[in-house]
Amino acid sequence: MTLEAFTKALEEEFEEITPGTISPDSNYREIEGWSSMHALIVIAFVDNHYDIILSAADLKQTSTIKDLYNIVQQRVG
Amino acid sequence: MIDLKGKKIAVTGASSGIGREVAILVSKLGADLILTGRNQEALNETASQIATNCEVILCDLSVEEEIENFAKKIKSIDGLAHCAGIVQPFPIKFIKSKHIDTVLKINLYSGILLCSNLLRNKSFNNGSSLVFISSVSADHPYNGSALYSISKKGLEAFARSFSLEQSIQKMRANVVVPALVNTNIYEKTKAAYDEEFIKKIEAQYPLGIGEPIDVANMIAFLLSNNAQWITGTSIKMDGGLLLNNNT
Repeated sequence: MTLEAFTKALEEEFEEITPGTISPDSNYREIEGWSSMHALIVIAFVDNHYDIILSAADLKQTSTIKDLYNIVQQRVG
Repeated sequence: MIDLKGKKIAVTGASSGIGREVAILVSKLGADLILTGRNQEALNETASQIATNCEVILCDLSVEEEIENFAKKIKSIDGLAHCAGIVQPFPIKFIKSKHIDTVLKINLYSGILLCSNLLRNKSFNNGSSLVFISSVSADHPYNGSALYSISKKGLEAFARSFSLEQSIQKMRANVVVPALVNTNIYEKTKAAYDEEFIKKIEAQYPLGIGEPIDVANMIAFLLSNNAQWITGTSIKMDGGLLLNNNT
């Protein structure tokens, strides 16, 4: 999955967000209405697409969608 | 005064958190112990703090065969503190059967299978006391807790069934139902959230969040003969969290 596809697919999981609102460089914690539920969605999204379980510490290291994508790519190897 | 001298207690999930605290406390109260968990090094660390006789048996309770082998090694016990469990929040729309399996195998099936094996092997002495750990989220879910809440509510139902079926042998089964407890799992969870969010959560507890020893104290009481008339109950421990919640 490319970075762009990753961003679009993740955005679709945040159902209340207007499509096209977030980009790879978006700080995902600054998305309007961000809550603990969104963090769970990020973890579940990565688990279901890549079979990788991100930890709380992994999330803490990231700010943007691109950061997330890069961590996933490192794990995929 | 709680006295557990002369009793042998098995503690699952003894490598950390509440399980470790229970092991240390019931040892101080005189019980001999069988400790189990998945992490040998962590179990040894727990065992190093035990003053009474203590046997460490490595077992992955998510694997049925390992449960059977573990149960075979237990010849005679007077109590079981089943503290093994995992917390894996997951939003419902992402749940697949593998996620259900992961959570239920360790949080629910392991307790059921361990008890059924121990009963078949006649390992429980008459008058044995079993204590399971549920969670207030069994009745008061949080985002992502569906599978965890199901597993804990199931455990409560199982404990009541067990207490009914085995009452003829004066065996008892009870459940402690804690809210947030300051374990290493909580420490890891905190790392994902900003400080303000964590402060907001903790502020909901009039008596503060729990410590493992708070839960261990109740478990030790339930394991003891002081609780000989208590069976089939679920005892909530929440530091006052739900006082303003009418559900």
